Amino acid sequence: MKQNHLHRLTVIVTAAVYLAVLTATVIAFRPSEFPLPTLQTAFNGEWTGRVEAYLTEHIGFHDELFRVKSRADLLLGEKMIQGVYITDDMLLEKLVTDDTPDAAASAQPVNDFYAKTGMPTYLILVPSASEVYKSTLPANALNADQKNRIQAIYAETAAGVRCVDAYNVLSSRKDNYIYYRTDSHWTSYGCYCVYQTAIQKMGVSAVPYENYVISHLSTEYRGDLYARTLYSGVKADVLDRYRNEDGVQITHVTAYYGDGSIEDRGDALYDESAVETEDMYRYYLGKPCEKLVIQTNLDNGRKLLLYKDDFADCMIPFLAEHYSEICIIDLTRMRSAYLTAADPADYTQALFLCSMEAWDQIW
Amino acid sequence: MYLSSFTFTVAVLPVLLLCYYLIPGKARRSFLLIAGLLLYGWGSPVRVLYLAACVMYDYGTGLLLEKWQEKRALSTCVLAFSAVMQAGAMAWIRGSVSGDLLFPFGIAIYTLQGLGYLIGIYRRRHTAEVNFARLALYLTLFPVLYAGPLLSFVEFREQLDEKPRSMEDLSEGLSLFLRGLAEKVVLADTFGYIFRELRQIAPEQLSMLTAWLTTIVFSLYLYFELFGYSEMARGLGRAFGFTLPKNFSHPFFTSSITTFMQSWNITLVLWFQTNFRYFLFGEHQSKWRKYSGLILMWTLIGSWYGLRPQFALWGLVIGLLLTAEQLLLGPTLKKRYVVGLFYTAIVLQFAWVLFFAESLSEAGTIWAAMLGFGERIADRNGLYFFTSYIAVILIGLYIATDLFRNISERIAETKFGRSIAIFRPAVNVLLLLLSLASMLYGERIQSLWLRL
Repeated sequence: MKQNHLHRLTVIVTAAVYLAVLTATVIAFRPSEFPLPTLQTAFNGEWTGRVEAYLTEHIGFHDELFRVKSRADLLLGEKMIQGVYITDDMLLEKLVTDDTPDAAASAQPVNDFYAKTGMPTYLILVPSASEVYKSTLPANALNADQKNRIQAIYAETAAGVRCVDAYNVLSSRKDNYIYYRTDSHWTSYGCYCVYQTAIQKMGVSAVPYENYVISHLSTEYRGDLYARTLYSGVKADVLDRYRNEDGVQITHVTAYYGDGSIEDRGDALYDESAVETEDMYRYYLGKPCEKLVIQTNLDNGRKLLLYKDDFADCMIPFLAEHYSEICIIDLTRMRSAYLTAADPADYTQALFLCSMEAWDQIW
Repeated sequence: MYLSSFTFTVAVLPVLLLCYYLIPGKARRSFLLIAGLLLYGWGSPVRVLYLAACVMYDYGTGLLLEKWQEKRALSTCVLAFSAVMQAGAMAWIRGSVSGDLLFPFGIAIYTLQGLGYLIGIYRRRHTAEVNFARLALYLTLFPVLYAGPLLSFVEFREQLDEKPRSMEDLSEGLSLFLRGLAEKVVLADTFGYIFRELRQIAPEQLSMLTAWLTTIVFSLYLYFELFGYSEMARGLGRAFGFTLPKNFSHPFFTSSITTFMQSWNITLVLWFQTNFRYFLFGEHQSKWRKYSGLILMWTLIGSWYGLRPQFALWGLVIGLLLTAEQLLLGPTLKKRYVVGLFYTAIVLQFAWVLFFAESLSEAGTIWAAMLGFGERIADRNGLYFFTSYIAVILIGLYIATDLFRNISERIAETKFGRSIAIFRPAVNVLLLLLSLASMLYGERIQSLWLRL
């Protein structure tokens, strides 16, 4: 082939690929997500940064290109994609070791609460799947030691605060389906196991496992770790709903948002619409809010004040079996304002339930 | 706007090329000037002010130097003042402006080009440019502002005459740009990411294996970062009608520091040789002046890379090693090629530590670990990184050697090479897609350790 023709062909082919990528980007254009400049953002670099972030997220053939890169990396020996270890059976998030405060500082929020209220206070820090399934991580993989960190924080809690060893409960059942394979949360079963131990410590007996009717909401659930890696070599998850037919009924759910608005959700605890979306885990507690008050038809005078992150969402149906009211404060949204979010005097018990990872990020 | 951003690669570049090839000949240079300034000020127009001030200063001073050509004392004073002021301003800005937004990136490049332009007039290598726009285009030529290559004013002026647009320039330019982009986003960013992860480990906890991995990965990051940007610049230059000089020539696995430095940041070293060493120390020098000039020049080159004293020390060490090679080691290294390979590789790995260590004492800790005086010979960290990234490191090392260049060139010259040239469009497509895929990871490391 003559050099001239080769040059022409090179330009035409390269331009054609450019055109294909551009066309796909334009077709996938989401006007609602595209950042528009203001006088300020156009001059302070913010807008250009957002445009770049938009293009990174919505470039044509995004998923295909992402898979090409991650597969090539894995082929060359890389063992993780975007901070997620790829193992045969599960996607396991890498736990970062740096910048964690010391154990005493991490126990401080619970200690402060107990010192202020003196009410029965419980703490459950839930380890990530990467800690429980440490042995399945790639050889020599770097991971923070959550087991020891949880123990160290528990050791720093005030004498009256009672801690639940979720790590032991979960690791003794690690042959069961206690964590999602493609999501960073625990499954309803993993959550039930910890609930069993915790509620006993809180003074009542757990509802037996046999009382629950389990239905599959989805057998094709792919969670947040899948969204980060787009790795489909791991089996999809099953999202379950536990229903106690003869159990307590939810009578009223009220959501309080940070902007001051209040939403009356009637007696609906679950968000059925979430099953149709990518964020299926939202099914358990609906749209995130700063404070959620749940009332039941139980009239035993027991009221629970629950400080939590989204790990607690699937435990609410279990806990609701024992309380006439549960006031749920989302720590990831309230952060240091958690002490003023509700009046502890209205409640009989307080529970801090959080994943270890979120606990470190919150404080 | 970074050349390796989605905004530039996907949205801006096609528009720039289309406009450049559509508009009539005379307007093309003005278009390049305006486009370059817009790209430079993208997101933070304040940056353009300093660049514009430099251009105006160099323009006015250039005319003055030419006018006072015969008054040597006066023109020497003007030149010395300009050199001290511009180098001082560059050092001050690089040291004090924090954050990406206000930082006038490319300052280390256009300050040298501006100074080179003034020295050129003083030494009567060329005349002062009377056309302000032409000088502005030279000093703001956007492809080179990221990491070079440095272009002398004589080379630039020779290329200013109208050239017909050619498909060859566009095709070669695009291919070169895509190769550079892949070197930056596929290789440099990968090594940058591994290096950043390795640097999370406290120096005193480094094992011997981890310490060596850190410095090897850093050298590969640095090379592909600078090389990638230089190749992108050359590609864009070619597509826009300029031929820019080569800046790197596969320097890894050479048998002496002298050979290494002849293939490393070639245009920068050439700038210092032309405008500093021979200028201050003359063409015919005594041995003492020759080598002291060499050592001083390399100390300055080191300082150009960064303001911390470690950079200057790096330059000093390289200068001393080059002197030692020229005076003593040269013949031995020529005879014993394999010894030379090991000596160069090991010495350079020790030297690169100065580039990234936060302090001299940290560099000392890393060196101790490299020599086996650290925590252990190998640890979990080291083994994890080694098993995860050894393939990528070996590929990077191979591409950075002249072995790769020689094989590529030899194949290209054979009949087989000529017949597979037809696949060049496919190579371009592959490089583009691989680059876009790598850019998605969001791990783009924009000159984390260098503020050029």
